[in-house]
Amino acid sequence: MPLRQKGTIGLEMLKLFLWLRYLRKKKIVLLSIAAVALSVSLLIIVASLFSGFINAFEQSAVETIGDVVLSAPTKFSKYSMLIERLEQIGAVEAATATLSAQGLLHLGKGNVRAVNIWGIEPARRAKVTGFKQSLLRQKHSPGDLSFEIPPAVLLRKNEAAGDKTGGFVGIGVLGEPDEKTDEYDVKTIEKMIGRSVVLTTGAVIDQNPGAPGQGETAERFRRKTVEFTIADIVFTGVYDLDKRFVYLPIAYFQSILYPNESEGVADQIQIKLRDNTQAELAIAQIRGVWQVFAADQLGWDENFIRYTQIETAKQMQSRYVVELRKQMGILLLIFGVVSLSVVVLIFCIFYMIVRLKQRDIAIMKSCGAASSSVACIFLGFGVCVGILGSGVGAALGYVVTKNINVVEEWIRIIFGLKLWKSSVYMFSKIPNEVDWTSAFNIILLAVIAAAMGTLIPAVVAARTRPVEILRYE
Amino acid sequence: MYKIVLAFRYLLKRRITYFAVAAVTLCVFIVVVVMTVMTGLVTDFKQKNLSFTGDCVVGTESLVGFTYYEDFISVLEKTDFVEAVSPVIKSYALLTPQGRDLNIGVEIMGIDPVRHSQVTGFGKTLYYRNDDASKAFAPNYDPNLLGCVLGIDLAMERDAKSGYPYEASPAKAAFSITCFPLTAKGALAKAGAGLINTQTFYYSDISHSGLARVDGSTVYLPFEQAQLLCGMAGPIKRASAIHIKFKPNIKLQAGREKVTSLWHRFRQEKAGEEQADLLATVTVQSWKDNRQAFIAAMEKEQTMMIVMFGFVGITTVFIVFVVFYMIISHKTKDIGILKSVGVSNVDIIELFSGFAFLVGLSGTCIGLLGGWLFLLKINRIENWLFEHFKYQLWDRTIYAIGDIPNQTDIRVLLVITGSAIAACLLGALVPAWQAATSMPVETLRANQL
Repeated sequence: MPLRQKGTIGLEMLKLFLWLRYLRKKKIVLLSIAAVALSVSLLIIVASLFSGFINAFEQSAVETIGDVVLSAPTKFSKYSMLIERLEQIGAVEAATATLSAQGLLHLGKGNVRAVNIWGIEPARRAKVTGFKQSLLRQKHSPGDLSFEIPPAVLLRKNEAAGDKTGGFVGIGVLGEPDEKTDEYDVKTIEKMIGRSVVLTTGAVIDQNPGAPGQGETAERFRRKTVEFTIADIVFTGVYDLDKRFVYLPIAYFQSILYPNESEGVADQIQIKLRDNTQAELAIAQIRGVWQVFAADQLGWDENFIRYTQIETAKQMQSRYVVELRKQMGILLLIFGVVSLSVVVLIFCIFYMIVRLKQRDIAIMKSCGAASSSVACIFLGFGVCVGILGSGVGAALGYVVTKNINVVEEWIRIIFGLKLWKSSVYMFSKIPNEVDWTSAFNIILLAVIAAAMGTLIPAVVAARTRPVEILRYE
Repeated sequence: MYKIVLAFRYLLKRRITYFAVAAVTLCVFIVVVVMTVMTGLVTDFKQKNLSFTGDCVVGTESLVGFTYYEDFISVLEKTDFVEAVSPVIKSYALLTPQGRDLNIGVEIMGIDPVRHSQVTGFGKTLYYRNDDASKAFAPNYDPNLLGCVLGIDLAMERDAKSGYPYEASPAKAAFSITCFPLTAKGALAKAGAGLINTQTFYYSDISHSGLARVDGSTVYLPFEQAQLLCGMAGPIKRASAIHIKFKPNIKLQAGREKVTSLWHRFRQEKAGEEQADLLATVTVQSWKDNRQAFIAAMEKEQTMMIVMFGFVGITTVFIVFVVFYMIISHKTKDIGILKSVGVSNVDIIELFSGFAFLVGLSGTCIGLLGGWLFLLKINRIENWLFEHFKYQLWDRTIYAIGDIPNQTDIRVLLVITGSAIAACLLGALVPAWQAATSMPVETLRANQL
């Protein structure tokens, strides 16, 4: 082995030896590792919780309204034909129609709620969204979703199938989550399946000429009150959906709102795309089909068709997601700036080590070690501290993030403080997925910061003059 | 005296101390800015809730309401601690703008605008009738029409600078409002006769309470009309709540307790009378309890932020520890000499604690000054960022926030100062103890010289 190579290996071994020795002997170094770990774990937890929330927010939209939503400027008929045409596009896996309105729901004595009503096609909806998984009674049943009232309920009430219309009601419409645990009393609420409730809503049913001379058209608004039976309960885990939504069969709902319409009426088409489909391409295709359909079948002119919004579910949420990402950035910036003090800490510790170990450095230099090699010893040691601290911090961040719901529950039990409430933060559980991209960036920055902290002490060490240090002895 | 001299000497002469001061400054600066903004938001939100609710609410969650409210109002008005009372009807309704195929689920509040303005800040939230709340339900285009006041976010959209496109006078617009009238037993009052009550109201004013949920979902109606719509205007009239304002010298909890005691007595007197069972669902709450669900969320976020800053602040304790450890290890001879001339262990600890205090104080002062200067300009900085980069700390079209709060709260500043100095003292504790317990005979030994 050449002498130069031998020398290099020897220096590498010396570096390793010194690093390990300083780690073992200079307990104060553990403080810098602890500080790096603390900052890294905090930043990873904050980034993961925010990213998890944003992902859950976007995913809940996809699971509720599908991948792409076509929202017409007004209600339109012949939606079955449109769905048929859409499903012939390669990019579209399934589509379903929705008719929406708002109403008041009378659930029982003194219990009235303002609700959003969606007329839906349950079987088709289950293909487009994750709706089936949200139904307490039917989620495990093998057949298609339906609004049929359970036979046991009909038997109990001595009614025949078809006497009453079934509907689905959000779990939050029927009850409030427990104040302390934020959990619904599912068993009690499930007993409400089969209960009859009264819903009132309405729509403009026609336009009449206004009074002579007024030059206006007065639209006749029709209120409609209907009774239906709760056939199932929807529990999506998204508070606003569970709290405000009631679902009825679209055909039945249409017959209430627009009794004079002979063909199916909807105001929105929700679409599921095939896997690995490019959203932009799919939207362009869907827009093409819609433009032809609206012009040929509905007789709409080009300007009116242009008011139709065709967007992915994620695009529909993008305004809020941008805002959430901004809040996350600001929070990470604040904690990142405060974490800069870790650099100061590492500097102080390493400066102290360099001052205390001047004789070691002088001996090394007098044995032929170059200044750059000496600097590398301390820089490398700083990087080691960064890697060790980041590793511990990442592990801590991972454990806390993954168990954040348990941590939150323990805080509730010990301090009586319920930090996470679905009524405030939408979801019944805290999203607990680690954001590895952010975590990787944070770790990288931590290692760089640790190296930066050691930079000046390393230069001081490199500039040590053996003759001055060893002269006295 | 020597303690003060040495502490100042170490602070000024040992450059490494500057790093500890810098770390404290950085932490204090960030904490001051963040906590001032957060505290400002929470305080502002609480103030708006107080203004919306009044001091105390006697009410029920049930949409059926409760009876004999007029009698209890008489009782309250005879007391010496109540300044004003206002009965309120609360329910859900469907709002339909005339001529549009649109239903909006809203909350309705039936109020007497004059009485309600005496109890709450309702009058000040109006735009067109700000000076005369008695005309809140009289549209200025035709005062004989039945008016309604819309929450501002129901009527118009907020722009990027948190402003609204107000018009010189309200446009003539009619709204159908539909309710389920309920009997005293909670059943549908008009069973077999359409089940619902619908009434047309005309847009007379807008109310901007500053509470996003309220402004986005509440329609204010004349008390009697709301009572009729909700089926509460029977032979024994019902209301949903009585809002109360206490006299200025009455403390909130004391006032609430007095009202509670009056209410219990009132309930006992009414026991046995017709529909008196409805009184059982009534609670007496201070405004804080009444709006707790909304306020608590913001307070918790503030607490979580404090806890997180506490964790990050541990690093500052570490820095002070390291700096002191270094200084003390370089000053063993000074300490040895001091001890050899009779300075006690306690004096040594006091010396370094004083030094730590100076580090904490100087770092805090610089941090506070920097934070204060930054807060002074924070809205100008945000405006500049918005004009040049379209960047806002909060998108005002989403969040109902005006200017960024920048009024420093002396209590917050005191807590931050105390915490920063305590962190420095904590960090200096172990090194100071080591210095105090060092033996002069070892530090001044000949081979050390």
